[in-house]
Amino acid sequence: MAISTIQEVVFGEDLPTFIPDTSLAIASQFAKLVGWGGPRFTDHEGARKEGLPGAMVPGILNQGYLVAMIHHWAPDAEIKAIDTVFRAPVIADEKHTISGVVTDVNEEDGQVEIDLTVANEKGETRVFGTATVQLPLG
Amino acid sequence: MDQDIAEARDQFLNQDFDEKTFEIPADKTIEYARLCGETAARFLDSAHPDFQAPPTFIASLSGSRALPENFPRFGLGMDAGKGVECFLPVRPGTTITGRTHLHDIYSKTGRSGRMVFAVSRIEFFDAAGQHLANADSRVVMREKS
Repeated sequence: MAISTIQEVVFGEDLPTFIPDTSLAIASQFAKLVGWGGPRFTDHEGARKEGLPGAMVPGILNQGYLVAMIHHWAPDAEIKAIDTVFRAPVIADEKHTISGVVTDVNEEDGQVEIDLTVANEKGETRVFGTATVQLPLG
Repeated sequence: MDQDIAEARDQFLNQDFDEKTFEIPADKTIEYARLCGETAARFLDSAHPDFQAPPTFIASLSGSRALPENFPRFGLGMDAGKGVECFLPVRPGTTITGRTHLHDIYSKTGRSGRMVFAVSRIEFFDAAGQHLANADSRVVMREKS
């Protein structure tokens, strides 16, 4: 069930798991949209020639996935801040899972903090971050 | 703190070294939101009364240069992360101005040697001068041992 107000948030709760579309098609379209059309984001073979294990999902697309996940959980949430660390490449066409956990709830000002992780099928963390989110007071 | 890091902080922190204007096309922000997996109408429907760019859209905007002129090259730079702070919505169809400064410089030493981090911050303002948002880019430079 979607979260509407701060009163519905429970400290320590897990956000519903989000499976982002990390296909090469999406990564490639995104890279071209933001002007990063090089092979490392658009072509597995070209990326391998650059020494990468395959084409990558752009880091800021991963950040966008994290925010989309929060909006799926709480559609009226306003992102006040999000900080992400790109620990290792997210390889396109590999399945990744995003998880999030509420690490702080302030019912007075309506803000929550959420720790977020993008992991691959081996359970390896590729991207992690923290978001501060404003929710309606109700 | 290492002497060279302290000197770099004294010389470079908190001084604007770039200014650039950015148009915010609605079709681009909508496509950005769609590819990220957003489903909320305020990001996807230009007729929505609160139509706005997705919060991390500004992370895709780059200034004319990432580091100040004469900034020391501690090693090969790699993208280590991004941060965004949102104060007011960025409205598609407007033009915004980004001013860049170095927000932080610090180092960490691990088993493979010293890594120097530089955080470039772009502050975005609308035409009325309202501070809309900040976008931080964290670059890590690994020194050759």
